[in-house]
Amino acid sequence: MLADIGLFAVVIAFLLAVYATFASFYGGRKECPAWVESARNAAILVFPLLTISVVILVYLLYTLDFSIAYVADVSSQAMSPFLRVTALWGGQQGSVLFWAWMMSGFVMVVLLRNWQRNRELMPYVIAVSMLTTAFFIGLVVFITNPFARLWLVPGAQELTIAIFPPASAMPYVPKDGGGLNPLLRHFGMIGHPPTTYLGFTGFVIPFAFAIAALITRKVNDDEWIRATRRWTLVAWIFLTIGLVLGGRWAYDVLGWGGFWGWDPVENAMLMPWLTGTAFLHSVMMAEKRGMLKKWNIVLIILTYSLSLFGTFITRTGIIGSVHAFAKSAMGPVFFLFIGITFLGSMSLLFSRWHLLKSEHEVESFASREAAFLLQNMLFLAITFAVFWGTVFPMISELINGTKITVGPPYFKMVTGPLFGALVLLMSLAPFFAWRKQGVRSLMRALLVPLIGSIIISIIWGYLHRMHPNSIFALWLASFVTMAILYEFWRGIRARMATRSENPLLALVNLLRRNHRRYGGYIIHLGVMMVALGFIGEAYFKQETQGTVGVGESLAVGGYTLRFDGLRDYSGSDGREIIEASTSLFKGDQLIRVLQPRRDYFIVQEQPSTIPGVYSTPGKDVYVLLVGWGENGINNATFKIYVNPLINWVWIGALFMVFGTLIAALPSGRQEGSYALKAVELQPVPGD
Amino acid sequence: MNLLRISLRNNFMIEQLESIAQPIGTPKVRRLGQDGQVIAFALVILLLGLLAFGLVKANTGPREKGMAPDFTITGFDGRTAKLSELHGQVVIVNFWASWCPPCRDEAAYLEQTWRKYQDQGVVFIGVDWVDTNKEALAYIKEFDITYINGPDTGTRIADAYRIKGVPETFFVAKNGELRGVKIGPLQSPELDEKIEELLQEVYP
Repeated sequence: MLADIGLFAVVIAFLLAVYATFASFYGGRKECPAWVESARNAAILVFPLLTISVVILVYLLYTLDFSIAYVADVSSQAMSPFLRVTALWGGQQGSVLFWAWMMSGFVMVVLLRNWQRNRELMPYVIAVSMLTTAFFIGLVVFITNPFARLWLVPGAQELTIAIFPPASAMPYVPKDGGGLNPLLRHFGMIGHPPTTYLGFTGFVIPFAFAIAALITRKVNDDEWIRATRRWTLVAWIFLTIGLVLGGRWAYDVLGWGGFWGWDPVENAMLMPWLTGTAFLHSVMMAEKRGMLKKWNIVLIILTYSLSLFGTFITRTGIIGSVHAFAKSAMGPVFFLFIGITFLGSMSLLFSRWHLLKSEHEVESFASREAAFLLQNMLFLAITFAVFWGTVFPMISELINGTKITVGPPYFKMVTGPLFGALVLLMSLAPFFAWRKQGVRSLMRALLVPLIGSIIISIIWGYLHRMHPNSIFALWLASFVTMAILYEFWRGIRARMATRSENPLLALVNLLRRNHRRYGGYIIHLGVMMVALGFIGEAYFKQETQGTVGVGESLAVGGYTLRFDGLRDYSGSDGREIIEASTSLFKGDQLIRVLQPRRDYFIVQEQPSTIPGVYSTPGKDVYVLLVGWGENGINNATFKIYVNPLINWVWIGALFMVFGTLIAALPSGRQEGSYALKAVELQPVPGD
Repeated sequence: MNLLRISLRNNFMIEQLESIAQPIGTPKVRRLGQDGQVIAFALVILLLGLLAFGLVKANTGPREKGMAPDFTITGFDGRTAKLSELHGQVVIVNFWASWCPPCRDEAAYLEQTWRKYQDQGVVFIGVDWVDTNKEALAYIKEFDITYINGPDTGTRIADAYRIKGVPETFFVAKNGELRGVKIGPLQSPELDEKIEELLQEVYP
């Protein structure tokens, strides 16, 4: 009964979304507000309807209604209530519904908030966003329906999954469900998938506005950019959080001691993040100088297309990946949708290309304009390199029949220097003035950080003589960090001198008065901390592996791990756990007892490795139980990683979130765009 | 015309005027060259073609049944093995690469299992997929791998088995038939169980 209501709500939502798409488009074309209003009301209704379905599905998962095929697939009696709820996005059917629900939520909020402000764009914003939403709801209704039931057809070997009962079929209710894939049974399940989906679906809003601006020929104005700036920030920060939580999850669960492996699925998420980041920066040029307009529109179309592309290659499994995702029947339909989106938005872009006019030219290479242009190019170059590496196996298979996978070395070698250049630009660009930058004032702003960072890297280089390559990377990171901190310091000092504020108040006011700039600086600081984590991973990671008997030890990087014994017990949700007890020593000092374990899920016949981790701000010691003695528990094989600086990745991510919140603060006064331009065009502080 | 244009503040009107004014020799509007458009469309269509191709390919999974495709491999240490000559023995074919983190997870377990069963009519073959010799040798040394391991020149073996990636392990029965494949790293004790099962097989 409940499932039928859920199904009914999805079907109505689908019809409304389709209606809203056509009605708003028609209303926009004919300039007939009644149609557009009607479309708007329909579009707003989609979210509450899908909410009903989502709540019902969660309830079914929670109460274990195994007559529903999806519930029987991903939920089980042994699973905790927490995991049963997260099973909503633990399988494909639920994921797609969840996805459509989030997207419709974004659309609803936009329609409620921006309706008055962006009247002319609205018909097409509704049309574009509802077309996409309708597609995903359509997938839920027709192809991958989470409310389908299990049926037993007499004489058939396998159960049938269908909404309507096949002829002479009996409903079938299994005693227990299969349960979530063991790798997904983790606390991270609450974080990574929802944030990733929020990031991916959130980009539909700036995309819809961009397409609307193209259709209405208002694309040369920056109205669409102003309307979507904060939406873009929201989508971007969720994508960022999703990426980092994904890395964290991999680190905690997948058991290979790292957080980023250049896997196609990871790349699929990195690519829209890269172009999205470029877009976030590039729109500032349109707002403040009326430049890079072509870039902006290309970047947002790319970002959205890459989100779809990423979802497509992940969900259809067309590129081999260490992430094992189920193949699905969505492939062909999804392919069609992607084709229409790519070709449609490109044709529209070309037909409006001549409308996009830059209000200024780049006047000097040493100017903020040039720096923005360069950063767009660098981001795009990295995206292309990642893209090429990701699709290369397919290209090679098409051309000479063999699938050649490019591994992490390719990605590291190609993107490493580009990322380096980007980081260097990140340190310089904020200090460049608009139009033209004098060398002398630049030196004045950067001399202190430059000297400071050189001193730090010389000391570092001396302490880490065996890793000469790390010196340059560290110099770069410390230079950027110090330049940003120095900039904060100069701002605070100026306020202290002119307004006699105390340092703390000066900092708060600095953030409030110019929240976009200083929020951006905080994000940059966060990025540098993440970079520190990558430096640790690239240059200082140590690992060892060995088999030891009880009482024996393994040593790596100044630590000693003593094996104290194994025990074997049953866990709560149908898992058999083999746990090793080990003592970690630094010198002679016992610092922590670690219990790396191996869980074996009996029903799924699938193991999962849970590391024992000793974590400090400086480094992690990460211990994996790889194997144990055949007869008895007297010896075990361990793998130990010493991962320096890795925790800075997570700390940096927190800074990025904090900085984004600051940057997304509403501006205190409602300044007219003209006034804002005048303010922003003033020389950089210190000039 | 120009005066009128300056006095107008409404963008939309200007556009309308521009489109009228165009033919009468106002400055030529910059368009993305026809060639540029054609190239962009061609690239996107190529990409879509590639995706379609990938989609078709994705629906053919790795081989799991039937006779295991025969191959000959020359190990890094010079030993050679030919699958069809190993009839009567259980063969474990493991595809790996030195750059693949999950492969590292299973390497110790594979070697350990090989040492346990090597005298019981079981053969392990390591196929190093898309790799460089130097790294591969370092990997073999690191995990002290003693069963035969060789490069998959031209990815011929990988193609025959239609692997999706590494690590992937194929189980070949004593009569040369495939008895399944494991995608992803093997973890104790599944390989032991599989080998025991295959060793039990008796043919009439």
